[in-house]
Amino acid sequence: MNANVLDKATAPSAGQAATAAPEDPKLVKQAQSGNLEAYDELIRRYQERIYATIYHMTSNHEDANDLAQETFIKAFQALKSFKGDSSFFTWVYRIAVNKTINFLKQRKNKTHMSLNDLDFNAEHDPDLVALVSDKTPRRDVSLIELQEKLNGAMQKLSEIHRLVVTLHDVQGLSHEDISKIMGCNTGTVRSRLFYARQQLQAYLSDYLK
Amino acid sequence: MSPPPEEFDRVKKLLALKRHEPPPPGYFNHFSDKIIARIEAEGLSAQISWWQRLFPDLDAKPVLACAYGLVIMGLLAIGVGVSQSLDTDETTAPNLGQPWFAQAPASDAVLPASMPVVQASLTGQTNPASSANPVISGAPSFLFDVNRLKYEVERVKGDLR
Repeated sequence: MNANVLDKATAPSAGQAATAAPEDPKLVKQAQSGNLEAYDELIRRYQERIYATIYHMTSNHEDANDLAQETFIKAFQALKSFKGDSSFFTWVYRIAVNKTINFLKQRKNKTHMSLNDLDFNAEHDPDLVALVSDKTPRRDVSLIELQEKLNGAMQKLSEIHRLVVTLHDVQGLSHEDISKIMGCNTGTVRSRLFYARQQLQAYLSDYLK
Repeated sequence: MSPPPEEFDRVKKLLALKRHEPPPPGYFNHFSDKIIARIEAEGLSAQISWWQRLFPDLDAKPVLACAYGLVIMGLLAIGVGVSQSLDTDETTAPNLGQPWFAQAPASDAVLPASMPVVQASLTGQTNPASSANPVISGAPSFLFDVNRLKYEVERVKGDLR
C-alpha cells in the first residue's frame, strides 16, 4: 500500500510542534477524488497527534480511540467541502476538537479516567525526577500517583482551558496554530493559557512547592 | 497579579509528564486500516461521483469549471461550423464526398461488347449524385441494378487480368 511509504521516523509525534507537511495538498486532492490510499497516508501522518489531543482532553483511552476514529471518518465525509483555506492539519484538528468538546459536554460529571501506562522514559526524565525528588513536599509520591493527580487536575479545568493547555504545554503547538484551531485570536489563547496554568498550579500546589 | 515565572515552569514540567502516556503498544499499527475499513463498509467512498473522480478540482475551483464549460462549448461550435461548411461545399461541388461506386466511370473505360444493357444504363445516368440529390433517391437504378453490378465485377476481373 502506498501509505506504507511514510517513514515512521519522520512522522511527527505528540509533543512535537505541529507543521503541515508540504505534500498534504496533493494527498488531499487525491483523497477528495476518492483515493483511499492517499487518505490512509493522511491518517498516518496525524493519527498520533489527534489521538493524543483527544486522550489528554478525556483522560480515557477508549473514548480517545472512538473519537479519533470518528474524527477521521467525519473528516473524510467533509473532505469535499475542504477548500484548502487552512492546512489539512488545522482543519482536521478543528474537527477533533469540536467532536471532543461536544462529547465532554454530554459526558459532564461522568468522568471515568482510563489512563495509559507511563512509558519507560518517564522515569528518566530529569524534570520529572526532580518533581519527585527530596525537594518535593510529598516525598512518597510516585510518578503514577503524580500522573493521576495531574489528570484529575486537568479534568477540573473547563474544556476550553484544558484544550489550550493540552495543545500548547503538552503538544507544543504555537499560539498561532492554536488560535486557528480554536477560531480565536492569539491574545485570547495567551490569556486562556495563563488562567489554565494558574488553576493547575492551585490544584497541584502540594506537588509544586 | 501574576505568579512567579518559576511556578509556571514547574507546572509546565509537570504537564510534560503527559507526554509519557502513550497508547498501548502497537495501537497505531492498524489504526488507519480500521478507519479505511469503516469508510468502505459504510459506503462513504462510493458517494463520490464519477465526474468528481475525473475532475476533483471542479468543486474547489469554480473558475476551472467555467473554463471546462467554455472549452466544451467551443468544441461544439467548431464542430457545427465545420459540418455546415461541408454541406455547403457539397452543394457547390456535387462530386465531392461521393462514394467511389457512385461516380461515373471514366469515359475511356472499355466496355465489353457483350454488355449492351450496361451501356444503356450508363448513358441514362445524367444526374450525378450529391447530398442535395442523394444516391439512393436520385439513382436507384444504379444502386440496385444487377446488370450494373455485373459490369463492375467484370471490369474488376478485366483489370486483374
